[in-house]
Amino acid sequence: MNIDWWTLGLQASNVLILVWLLQHFFWRPVAAVIAKRRSDTQKLLDDAAQKRVQADATLAEMEKTRAGFAAERDAILVAAKTDGERTKAQALEAARMEAETLQKAARAAIARDTATAQKASADQAATLAVDIAKRLAARLEGPAVEAAFLGWLINAIKALTPAEKQAVADGTLDLVSAQPLEPAEQTRIEKQIIAAFGTQPEITFRVDRALIAGFELRSPHFLLRNSWQADLQRISKDLRDAA
Amino acid sequence: MNSPLESVALFYLGPVPITSAVVVTWIIMAVLVLGSILLTRRLSVTPTACQAALEVFVEAIDGQIRDTTGAAPAPYRAFVGTLFAFILVANWSSLIPGVEPPTAQLETDAALALLVFLSIIWFGVRGRGFGGYLKVFAAPNPVMIPLNILQSITRVFSMFVRLFGNVMSGVFVIGIVASLAGLFVPIPLMALELLTGLVQAYIFAILAIVFIAATVGESKPASDEAASGQSQ
Repeated sequence: MNIDWWTLGLQASNVLILVWLLQHFFWRPVAAVIAKRRSDTQKLLDDAAQKRVQADATLAEMEKTRAGFAAERDAILVAAKTDGERTKAQALEAARMEAETLQKAARAAIARDTATAQKASADQAATLAVDIAKRLAARLEGPAVEAAFLGWLINAIKALTPAEKQAVADGTLDLVSAQPLEPAEQTRIEKQIIAAFGTQPEITFRVDRALIAGFELRSPHFLLRNSWQADLQRISKDLRDAA
Repeated sequence: MNSPLESVALFYLGPVPITSAVVVTWIIMAVLVLGSILLTRRLSVTPTACQAALEVFVEAIDGQIRDTTGAAPAPYRAFVGTLFAFILVANWSSLIPGVEPPTAQLETDAALALLVFLSIIWFGVRGRGFGGYLKVFAAPNPVMIPLNILQSITRVFSMFVRLFGNVMSGVFVIGIVASLAGLFVPIPLMALELLTGLVQAYIFAILAIVFIAATVGESKPASDEAASGQSQ
């Protein structure tokens, strides 16, 4: 057995150099990576824990905010309900007032229509009555009716005031009759009229069958109606006025 | 086959003989250093499969140191880890035809044992101070000083002899069987040599850290006998 001390020293030096080289190129880099990953992982865990704390805080804040939302929602609901009720009351009041207005307008329209209808009915009735009276009066022709109307004319002339009589004294009077008069009859009637006036007016005779029966005195400034036509017109006017 | 107890110089550098063990050691050093450079040039926090394997290896070394010393593994990682890696690769180099593992030579194992012996002193002085280191020899009482000094030498010597005997015997047996029985017969023995090489590298590294821890005083109770028992 023989130990080569040179070889022993060389091998010891070789291993020492190898320790230094591997420390530099292997152990330290790998250990550094492991340490870095460990620190990164720890940092991640710390960050995660911190974020969890933040998330818990945020969650609590959200819960608080949500509770605030609930209260605010209740307040909004109450306010909305109040507004709704007020709006409903206003709408109901407006609808009621509008309904009343429409009702009033409808009533007024109904009343107006009723009045119009009544008036139209009255007019129609008056027209019908006058027509009936005309037909009836038209059948009452004859000397008696003539005499009666002449008498009423004379009485009406006599009822005139002196000033009215004087106003027509110098003028010309038209004596309108429903039927043509015979000359003798014209003379007789003229005499009675002149006697009733007490003056001497100039009288001309004319015929207007629309009078139905009776006599009327007309001048540019004087009119004395005394006929069925005048009577019927007055009655018709009275009926319409009454309606 | 040359005698494993003799070193044959391949050539000389001046007065220094360069044996095959030295040359193979240089090759192993080159392989380890270049491999380390290649494997660690693109380390990242997100590891590849290769980087994950490296990290598992380093974590295993750290775990062994931490379990043995109870202290942080960083001060001891490079020395113990390099011992393990070098012995493992040196032992397994016997599988390459024509290559005689450096650990099958007395000088290499003696050099490794010498380094362990010096590292015990270095870490002991660094951890306890010079006086504190010397007091270790007086434990449990001054009467034990001669025995402790003798033990500090013999335990390292036993490491050296154990490693040399196991590796050299494996190489020798394989060589004898190969010379007698042919090419493929030694294969089971070579497979067994793989296991033996791994176990011996592990034992050597673990004993080194146990002795260092016992001196530094930070280790859990671990006696030389117990550690020696693991090697058997």
